[in-house]
Formats: sequence, structure tokens, C-alpha cells
Amino acid sequence: MHMQVEETAVEPVRLFRINTGSCNGCDVELAVTSAVTEFDVEQLGCRYTESAREADVVLITGPLTVRARDEVLRLYAATPRDKVTVAIGVCPVSGGVFRDSYAVDGPLERHLPVDVNVPGCPPRPQALLAGISEALAIREARRAGVEPSRKPKQGKRPNADNFPARGRLSFDAGACVDCRMCRHVCAAGAIRFQEGEDGVRLTLWHNSCVFCGLCCHYCPTGALSVTGDWRLDHPASDTFRQVERGEIPYAPCSGCGESIVPAAPQLLHAAFRRPNPEIEKLATLCPACRQVMSIGAPRR
Amino acid sequence: MTTKIIELGPHQLALEEPMYFRVRLEGDRVADLDVMPGQVHRGMEHLVMRRNLYQNITLLERLCSLCSNSHPSTFCTAVEEVAGIVIPPRAEYLRAVADEIKRIASHLFCCAVQANAIGEIPLFRRVMEIREIMQRAKEAIYGNRMDLAANVIGGVRYDLTPEAVAYLYQAMEDMKKPLDELYLQFANNPALMARMAWVGVLPREAAVECAVVGPVARACGIDYDVRKKSPYGAYDRLDFEVATQTAGDVRARNLVRLAEARQSVSLIEQCLAQLPAGPLCADTLPEIPAGEAIAKSEAPRGELMYYLRTDGSDFPVRLKWRVPSYMNWDALKVMLKGEPVANIPLIVNSIDPCIACTDR
Ligand code: SF4
Ligand code: SF4
Repeated sequence: MHMQVEETAVEPVRLFRINTGSCNGCDVELAVTSAVTEFDVEQLGCRYTESAREADVVLITGPLTVRARDEVLRLYAATPRDKVTVAIGVCPVSGGVFRDSYAVDGPLERHLPVDVNVPGCPPRPQALLAGISEALAIREARRAGVEPSRKPKQGKRPNADNFPARGRLSFDAGACVDCRMCRHVCAAGAIRFQEGEDGVRLTLWHNSCVFCGLCCHYCPTGALSVTGDWRLDHPASDTFRQVERGEIPYAPCSGCGESIVPAAPQLLHAAFRRPNPEIEKLATLCPACRQVMSIGAPRR
Repeated sequence: MTTKIIELGPHQLALEEPMYFRVRLEGDRVADLDVMPGQVHRGMEHLVMRRNLYQNITLLERLCSLCSNSHPSTFCTAVEEVAGIVIPPRAEYLRAVADEIKRIASHLFCCAVQANAIGEIPLFRRVMEIREIMQRAKEAIYGNRMDLAANVIGGVRYDLTPEAVAYLYQAMEDMKKPLDELYLQFANNPALMARMAWVGVLPREAAVECAVVGPVARACGIDYDVRKKSPYGAYDRLDFEVATQTAGDVRARNLVRLAEARQSVSLIEQCLAQLPAGPLCADTLPEIPAGEAIAKSEAPRGELMYYLRTDGSDFPVRLKWRVPSYMNWDALKVMLKGEPVANIPLIVNSIDPCIACTDR
């Protein structure tokens, strides 16, 4: 590392932090990238600065509170014209768990242009470094007057620990029974259900999700799961493409033919441990026909 | 003597979070101080009423990331109190493990930031490196380095496999020597003594008057720790001493924190040794009746209180906090009085200020 600095003898790229009212999670992790050798931004040729005027890259945390707004905009206005702006954590992008509060004035994009998003709550230092690298690539490209090219994602590092970090959520539509418990427990409002012609569609936005895994905990069929994929940094132009989707197709009720979402085998296993053919018939029946089958008449 | 008013922001105060001070100086000494909070006000009191009890588990974990586990665990305790839920013994121990891991990391962060504030950069880096052992452990066991997602209503939603237990034992072993060394360094190193001893003194009477809690109170000889005074969860089965000091200065506050971090190591070892078998959670989706409850716990910064009122629906009718950081700001006025300007960042950081908790 030292060698490199001596050889190239270039000026370090200066990073400037702005906290817009965060829970401090992202900020404490950024402090790690200035203190802990393994994650030091020095390895990317960067250094933190306390002066807005020196900023080459601006790192912004927090949901942008009403109270902090003026000061944030003042600091931002003091930064040079050609800086690259990075939104750290999901807060600046969507408000995260704080969305819909009277005291929050985000998303940040409404007030200033963002170049890179680094989802996470908070993102692990490896993800912060990946996001900063992406900002550096944009900076280089801009200076050379070309379009920034996307480096292929590294994915998990080979020496990652055996216990994975909580990353991107994954959805298995085949196991979903449309109970919507996940949406009910999600503090960030990251999950949406839309009823379409042929089925119900679930959309989960990674820029709102705080990777808490509560949806998976309460999902009765295991349709949602946390993956170890934490490499989610992306150009801000891709903000709304960061989604997990799946469609749960309707099927006709085997009794009356009405369109229903059939019960997934996972649900029957959860409810009955060892479902017999008689029970399996229930899966394809609508609630009314199910009641007819089990108690002889629909319940009023 | 000339009177001057200066304004200090997060960059001058060496804070991670935005907070502003208006300081009145007599000559070059602090005469008075106005704290201007509010930058991190996210409207939590409003938000918690618009989120149901389940959503609030995740939301409250983000009230503050440094004591992130104390918030959901105390909130869940309040809900359980309302619903008359007794959580399984294994869950009690696992909550304690999560709380103590967070305590070590939080205390070390506070000590590191102070080293940074006085320009002791190698010490800052060293403390942060030691803290990394806990950060790695958090990520390995809980999947995130700040927000553990350990709690649910009725218990916990993580388990310790035998491998994870072995891993944690090793991590605790790795913490012992560095923590002992740090304690001695903060106690005796002449350079640190020169900056921290007899600096930012809070006399015991003033501490009582300001009603401070946590390490700030214990550094003034106030023997108050919720884990001992009104034990909750597994703490009545764990053996530890309340760490106290008497000098009430910056040094004493750090010695309390480092002694507590060392004690947390022992508490975690005790939890692992005693960890009872059994379920992790009482009931996945319990009925929560109408009612009210107060729950409290010893967060890294001191006593944390939750008041919850429910009406039988999924949404809380009222949720209020008394966070430990709140009283500390008042005590700062006493600590800073007569101090030179150069000591302000250190003294401010020595109360382990949490603006996210204060502003909510
Ligand atoms: S993204 Fe998460 S960790 Fe970061 S400031 Fe927001 S709530 Fe805190
Ligand atoms: S993990 Fe699930 S519950 Fe948690 S924020 Fe993401 S979508 Fe919502």
C-alpha cells in the first residue's frame, strides 16, 4: 500500500461526509473506514476531509430531516462542482424505516443530484468501499469525458466468513400463498402486492428494504429469504430497477372454478406436517368451497 | 475579561452526528453553553404510532444504532408485559448476550472517539481494531454489524448453534487481554492522564441534581445500574459487580466503560455456560390486549425507559421513551464550565453523546 502511494505520488481523493439526520449506523461504519486497516479508504487512494470545499466525493447518510435540510444544502453548495455524490444506506434514497414522517424531507434526490446508491442498513464496510470505488470510476470517467463503465460485480469475497451477512432478499413465488404477512411486518414499506389479470405480483424494493429479515421470520412458507448478497451498490439512474419480483398465478378453484391463489405445498406442510390426499384437495379450493368440504356449508 | 460567543458544529466537536453548540466564553474559558438539538429529529413518536407492533421492532432498532439492541428488546419487554407473556429462559439469555455484545462495541467506540478528539491517532486506531473483534462477531452471528435483528415479541429470533457458541467463546477470549491493557493505559498512561484526569469534572451532587445515569453517573460514585437495581431477563442469574469510580472526570468515565466492557465479556461467558435448552420464542403471533406498561433496561449509555399503551389493536396508542443521553446534555454545562475551548470536543465525547436518541 505504501509502495503504491510513493510510486504514483498522486493527491488522495478527498471524501466528505454529510449526516442528514441518520440513526448513526452508517456514520459509525464510515468511521470504521477511516480507522481499521482492513477497511481503510486509503487502499482506494482516498482520505477523509473536514472541509466541504475540498470534497471530491460527498458521502451522504440519513433520511434528510426537515431540521437538517438547510444546513445540508448549505454544506453541499460549498462543495466543488465536479464532485461525485454517494447516498450511503437506504435512508437517503427512500427514507428507509423513517419514510412518511412529517420530520423527514427526503428522498435526497428531490434536493440534489445523486450519482451512486449503496443500499444496506447499514451497509457493511466492504459495501461502502465498493460504493466508493464506483464513485471513483465515475469521477475518472467524467474527467476523461467518457461514460463510466460498470465493473463486473465481485460478489462475495472468497474469504468471507461462513455465516453470511444479511443481504438482498429473495422471493420464491411458488411458495407464496398471498397471506401478505410480510408486508404487514415490514417497517420500511418495502413490499408491495398488486393484483393483476393472471395473478398477484409481489415487488420488494432493495432501496427501501433495511435487510432486517422480519418478513422471512413471519412468512409461514419460507417464500421470502435473506441471501448473503450484499454487493448492491449501483448508479443512481438504476434506483428503481433494484427490485425482487414474483408473480403468484391464479388457478381456478377445483370446486366452483373461481380464480384463487392456491395454497402452496409449503403451507400444507407447515399446517399439517404430513398432508394426506384428502388434505391436499383443500389446496386448490376457494375458502367457500373449503368450508363446504369440511363443515358441509359455507360459514356466514 | 472579554466575553465572546462562539458556535460549534459537528466538525469542530468531533461528532459523528450533527449537533450544534453556542458557547459563551469568558477569556478563553467556557462560561456557559446552549445546546441546539433537533437535527436528527425523525418524528419517532409519530412514526411508532403509524407502525404496528411488529413493524416497530425494526423501526425502533434504528432509533439509534449504537444502542440498537436495547431499544427493540426493551420495547418487546413492554409488549410482553402488557400481554402477560413470559419469554422462554433461553430467549432471556440470548437477549443478554446480544445486549452485552452491543455494550462492548458501544463503549469501545466511545473511548476510540475520545482518543481521536485529543489527537491520539494510534490509540484511536488500536481501540477501533479491538472493537472489530466484536463487529465481526455481530456480523457472524446476527448478519449485520450494527443492527442485530435479534428480538421478536415473545423472545428472540436467532439461535446459537454449538459452533456459534464456540466461536463466541473464542471471541471473548480474544477480547480479554486487549481490554485489560486498554484499562491500564487509560488509567495510567501519562499522556492520557494529562488530557483526561481532572478534566470535565462532574461533582457527585451535580450528578444527582442532573439525574444522570449510566457510566456518567457511575463515574461520580453513583452506584446505579438497572441490571442490578431491578434485574430483568437473565441478569438475576448472572454474577457481576457494578463498576464505579469517584473522580467524576473524563478519565473516570472511561475507566467505568472499560471495566464494564471487560465485565460484559464475563457476562457473555456466563450466558454461554448457563444457556438453557428450549424454545426461542413463546408464541409467534400473540394477542396483545389493551393495557399499559413500563419497561426498563441498562443500555450502554444508562437506564432506558419505555412506556407503552395499547388498545387491543395492532398499533400502539402511545409509546414514549426516557433515553439516557437526555440528562447528560445538562450535565455538560457543569462539566464544561471553566474549561478551555480546546477541551470541549473531548469532554463532549466523554458523555458518549447520542444525538439520534436525544432528538429521535
Ligand atoms: S440506512 Fe439504516 S443504518 Fe443507515 S442511517 Fe438509515 S437507518 Fe441508520
Ligand atoms: S427484510 Fe423484509 S421486513 Fe425487513 S425491511 Fe426488508 S422487506 Fe421489510
